Amino acid sequence: MILDLGDDAKEYGRQALRAFEAAGGDQLVQQAEAKPDLRESLAGPVLSELGAWDLDARTDVDGLEAAAALCRSAGYWALPYPVAERLAKPTDLDVDGLIVVADIRPSGVVAGLESTWAAVSLAGVRSRVAGYGAAGPGFVAEVELSAVDDNGAGDVALGLVLPCWTLLGMLDRALELTIAHVSLRKQFGQTLSAFQGVQFQLTDAEVERSGLEILAKYALWSIATDRPEATDDALALRMSAIEAAEVVFRVCHQLHGAVGFCDETTLSWLSRYSQPLRRLPLGLSATRDELTRRVGGTGLTGLFS
Amino acid sequence: MYENSPESRTQAQFRQQVRAWCEQHIPPDWRQSQTGVDDDEFVRFQKSWFAELHSAGYAVPHWPREWGGGLSVPEQIVLYQELAAHDAPRLVLAFVGIHHAAATLLAAGTDEQRRRHLPAILDGEIWVQGFSEPEAGSDLASLRTSARRAGDSYVVNGQKLWASGGKHADWCLLLARTDPDAPKRKGISYFLLDMTTPGVEVRPIRNAIGDSHFCEVFLNDVEIPAANLVGAENAGWQVAQATLGAERGLTMLELAERLGNAGFRWLVQAAPVDDPVVADRLAQFETEITGLRGLCRKVVEDSENRTVGPADASIVKLFYSELLQRLTDFGAEIGGMAAHTRLAKPMSSGWESGSWLLDFIGSWEWTIPGGSSEIQRTIIGERGLGLPREPSAV
Repeated sequence: MILDLGDDAKEYGRQALRAFEAAGGDQLVQQAEAKPDLRESLAGPVLSELGAWDLDARTDVDGLEAAAALCRSAGYWALPYPVAERLAKPTDLDVDGLIVVADIRPSGVVAGLESTWAAVSLAGVRSRVAGYGAAGPGFVAEVELSAVDDNGAGDVALGLVLPCWTLLGMLDRALELTIAHVSLRKQFGQTLSAFQGVQFQLTDAEVERSGLEILAKYALWSIATDRPEATDDALALRMSAIEAAEVVFRVCHQLHGAVGFCDETTLSWLSRYSQPLRRLPLGLSATRDELTRRVGGTGLTGLFS
Repeated sequence: MYENSPESRTQAQFRQQVRAWCEQHIPPDWRQSQTGVDDDEFVRFQKSWFAELHSAGYAVPHWPREWGGGLSVPEQIVLYQELAAHDAPRLVLAFVGIHHAAATLLAAGTDEQRRRHLPAILDGEIWVQGFSEPEAGSDLASLRTSARRAGDSYVVNGQKLWASGGKHADWCLLLARTDPDAPKRKGISYFLLDMTTPGVEVRPIRNAIGDSHFCEVFLNDVEIPAANLVGAENAGWQVAQATLGAERGLTMLELAERLGNAGFRWLVQAAPVDDPVVADRLAQFETEITGLRGLCRKVVEDSENRTVGPADASIVKLFYSELLQRLTDFGAEIGGMAAHTRLAKPMSSGWESGSWLLDFIGSWEWTIPGGSSEIQRTIIGERGLGLPREPSAV
């Protein structure tokens, strides 16, 4: 078993990073926050040029890997567009994308877009999004649902896993920014990076990030190989992603100091826009609860069974 | 000494008196009416609440009697407990004035400086701290803002950062370098700066929760009369220690009490308590809050008895800030969608407003200012545990 993305997917991810940078990079999320209705025009063209909507994440393993790589690159720039959610769209419904929603107050990062959406609950109940509430922070809007069927069990895993790749890209960037910051900033006559206390915090964050990265690849493989426990693996990934994000952003903010809370730094934007990914459809304890309910008696199947 | 030990008769009477006052004077709807208000209304409310407390003798209980305070330490503890228990608005705007400025003036100010400023603070004069700089955060002593003596004045040039509440401030506690050739802690002086002086420019900085309470202050050929020097020239570092010391003790006790009252109450109200996972976490938090309140109380009492340990204040700050982060995180987690979509908190609350996402993001700044967690850990290691100093810079 190879738990890494193929070379083509990795190269596609690198191309996407460069393309998002050329399209405006960190400016994109700032412009979109000022005018959420611009999200489509800010991010749509570059995604089309990258051939994002030609990727088949459902039936083609290469397409699935490319989709994951694209989401990671989108996260790196906090691209103000639900790339993962678009790429997770079901093939048998005429919609542009899919969001996984909680049973209570279903919502997603779909504010300000004209796309059509399907939603799936963790139990596999599928709906069409028939109406949108007011746009909230982080482009989140509550959605009104009109039930379609309960055939969505197979949609849940992909719908959970791809946004975790977006979050992974955000963690990549947060760590990169922080390493750059502590390598530059001097206090007490030396760069912060020379303090072992600083190094150890970063190493703890990196351990979390790498744990998430390998689980993200594992959960993707689980989908690619049609394993029956793909949804359990996706939930386990999601739990790990939320936990890793807490550690990584806490360390990155701490080591940036006060400036990390100012919108003059990219970290401030990144951590703000990581919130919906960390909170929706379920936060940490609810995710853990769901996972425990599903696999509590038997545990996860894992790599070596 | 502990919560359940019988209070003295005077303390019990005082508690009754404060309770009765709280019930009559704390605006019951202040959380609703202050949610999302603009700056002008925030300042108006803060000043009127301060005046209300002052008229009862509760605004500056820790000041000496001759300046308008004079409550005993046990009474101060009772006061903060009751204000927190009755969910009083917090004195956000007056904070630097009644704590840092007053502590500085009382410890090192001249009689004239005290007469000029202590009554003015009681009348609503607002202060800001001008310590940190772009290149001097944790390493405050490396600050570069310069003050050059010119006749009866000093001419100040430089830039200050993270001046919380700077845009509303009348006066600033300013550290500036008066001897560029001296070792870095020995060339710093402490000034009182009138914020209306020509050359002072305040620029609010928008932060991650969308407000702008911390500011940059630019100082361009600003003249400060020599009479506004606090302590001796080049002895500002020692004076600053008195100011920074004021952040501990009672101010931490107040925050711990607020966390134990309103903060925990919002959490319980938001929580599905019949869920065993949630109940388990709540029990853990309750235990930690109880520990924190006990620790704060001990630091206050030990400070009064001069038996406080060299690392005790650092332990309290580390305990509070890290607990606050975990607790507000849990609040955001169990607060559901409402916690994420209602991004307006009641102004004049503390870090326990119940707007969980804002509280959570706001809580992160607690491990950074006033001595970051790294600095606190170094103090606990070196001064508390007697471990060797970290190897110095190469």
